[in-house]
Amino acid sequence: MRVAFVVNDLALSGGIGVIVQHARQLTDHHGFAAHLVLARAWEHEETWRYDSLVGLPVLTLEDARAQHWDVVVATWWETTHAAFTLPADRHAYFIQSLEDRFYYRDEPERVGAALTLDLPVAFITEARWIADTLADLRPDAPCHFVRNGIDKSTFPPLDGIRPHLDGPLRVLIEGNPSVWFKHVPEAIEAAAMMREPHEVTVVTGERAELSGAPIDRLLGPLTHREMAETYAQSDVLLKLSAVEGMFGPPLEAFHRGATCVVTPVTGHEEYVEHNFNGLVCDWDDLRGTARLLDLLARDRRLLHFLRTNALHTARAWPSWEQAGQFMAAALRAIHREPAPAASPAAAAMLADIRGGLEAYRVHLAERNDFARQVERVERITKQPVVAKVLRQRHRPLARRALALARRLLSR
Amino acid sequence: MADWQERITRETNPAVRIEHDVRYALAVPLIRDSEVWADLGCGNGVAAADALGDEPVARAVLVDVEQSAAEEAARTVRARETTPLRADLTDPADLARLRDALAGATGTITCFETVEHLANFAPLIETLAELSERFTVLLSVPNDAFWALENPYHQTVWSEGAFAELRSLLPAGNVVAHQVSLSGSAVVPEVEGAIEVEVPVRAGTDAVPTHFLAAFGPDAGRVAHLAAVTQTDLEERRRWERQREADLAFAEAAHEELRAAQARLDEANADLERVIGEREDFRRYIHELEERLGLPRSGGEPAALPPA
Repeated sequence: MRVAFVVNDLALSGGIGVIVQHARQLTDHHGFAAHLVLARAWEHEETWRYDSLVGLPVLTLEDARAQHWDVVVATWWETTHAAFTLPADRHAYFIQSLEDRFYYRDEPERVGAALTLDLPVAFITEARWIADTLADLRPDAPCHFVRNGIDKSTFPPLDGIRPHLDGPLRVLIEGNPSVWFKHVPEAIEAAAMMREPHEVTVVTGERAELSGAPIDRLLGPLTHREMAETYAQSDVLLKLSAVEGMFGPPLEAFHRGATCVVTPVTGHEEYVEHNFNGLVCDWDDLRGTARLLDLLARDRRLLHFLRTNALHTARAWPSWEQAGQFMAAALRAIHREPAPAASPAAAAMLADIRGGLEAYRVHLAERNDFARQVERVERITKQPVVAKVLRQRHRPLARRALALARRLLSR
Repeated sequence: MADWQERITRETNPAVRIEHDVRYALAVPLIRDSEVWADLGCGNGVAAADALGDEPVARAVLVDVEQSAAEEAARTVRARETTPLRADLTDPADLARLRDALAGATGTITCFETVEHLANFAPLIETLAELSERFTVLLSVPNDAFWALENPYHQTVWSEGAFAELRSLLPAGNVVAHQVSLSGSAVVPEVEGAIEVEVPVRAGTDAVPTHFLAAFGPDAGRVAHLAAVTQTDLEERRRWERQREADLAFAEAAHEELRAAQARLDEANADLERVIGEREDFRRYIHELEERLGLPRSGGEPAALPPA
């Protein structure tokens, strides 16, 4: 079976890593011809490549358009347009997160990302919460649930956990501080608020952003193998993300013998059990998070219990080989079954466009209202007398006069 | 203690045996109404034969990766016609032979505790989905992720999440059931010896499942609840739990002793350091005296603490 995964780029990221792994499994074990298709042209060669990318064909959109595909899979909302330009028996959409949540409320991409969920495609998703959401949003569309595997050769589960009886608590924080929903600066702040002895390591691809941060070690970018080694040297992974899809990093940490302190972010419910294999903190509660870390630093028996259970959780998580079987079966089912009907998709899309227009109208009315208010203020401030007062307002005499005027007006 | 006996025999632990019995008992009403019943991963057929009893079924296709097991099952299961079939359920060619064996027929397929033994289960699931147009399929997988037991015979790990993935591949209208563990007790007057009792029991999906079951196909809606209890070997269980308890207490005591020994060692080291310091002071004083008196220096190099 010929399958094209349409990707935006091949930069090192969790999302692309997942697609590469699936393509690799399909090609190596299930008789598929899986290709990666770049949705847009890149001016320079990507510096980060994956080991598992070796031998996987990467095509330009133009080259891919010249071929016929059994299934074309969009992998990110911006790739859906490109995916539909490829001739194929079926079009599918691999959803790793509800991507509208990556954008602020007034960013136009937010609506664009949400609208792609209305396309007439078969869905494949890696998280149960997304599958449940899609079942509500698009009951007409088939949705296959395929969890991400873990590369057990890169992140081999430890044979056992050696208790960390004393010494500072080894806290690991990972992620890029510029990605707002990862809340890396907040995690650093929470760790800095600890009272018990601790050592904080941060792994990031954006080291310059964190110069002067209250941490002990700054690493990165790291390869997956180096990351596995760093997890193994940690007691606890601290993740305060606001948006996650499948939420892979704590699971990788579990394989290497670390527990986690995490927010109740989407995806955590699949494998994090509070007070069993990790601790779940409250949203926006840095002080409370610091106290949870202090608890782990003080109570080494609890720390060991959580780390032990985290390792057991990891052992029971499927490998990429198992995940690849589900992906192969899902793609074959998508190809075998009739293509999703266009009418329910069109109805859903038009309803969402209507909703988007209404939201935009409200937003625009608010903006216009603010603009009118600003205009009124500007008109007043441009009056020569007011402008002169404003220019002079920091002078001692003007400040006394303004204070007197305020007192008189407040009576 | 973990017992990795994967074939069900007459000697199998009663607690494990009854789990198999219940699954087959669930399928019996469907099997009895079937033109053909296929049992995939049948083993030696003991659990199926016990559930079916003495009344023979119409036709049984007994499938196992080992020819001898399939033949043994064909001898054990009571059926008017039996077909032992050796098949590797990961092999598309063997799956095609299975489809041929079931061609044109209708009935029931059972596939209990088999999927997790396959390195590649996707072709089997696709075959079962295809056959479910004519056959009602009942399959089960263990919840081995809950206990995180590393069963050396299992090629894949099954859990609530993995079962949800599997379910998303099954035809619409599938029925899912949780198999849960029961525990109980009985009073038996000495004079009665062994007794048969009927026990009302509450079982719910709020408990952690030991296994997940799915039924799909024409008669999937006929799958009903079922329960059975059996006497367990408390003696063996007690040995295992006591051993673990004793090992833990032993490790904790050994650890405490080690900590106390470390504290004594630290104290002794501090004393030694103080004594060495005093001796060094004394040595320096003697050397000063010797210098003043014009005598050669006595003693060797200053002593050092032994390595920690």
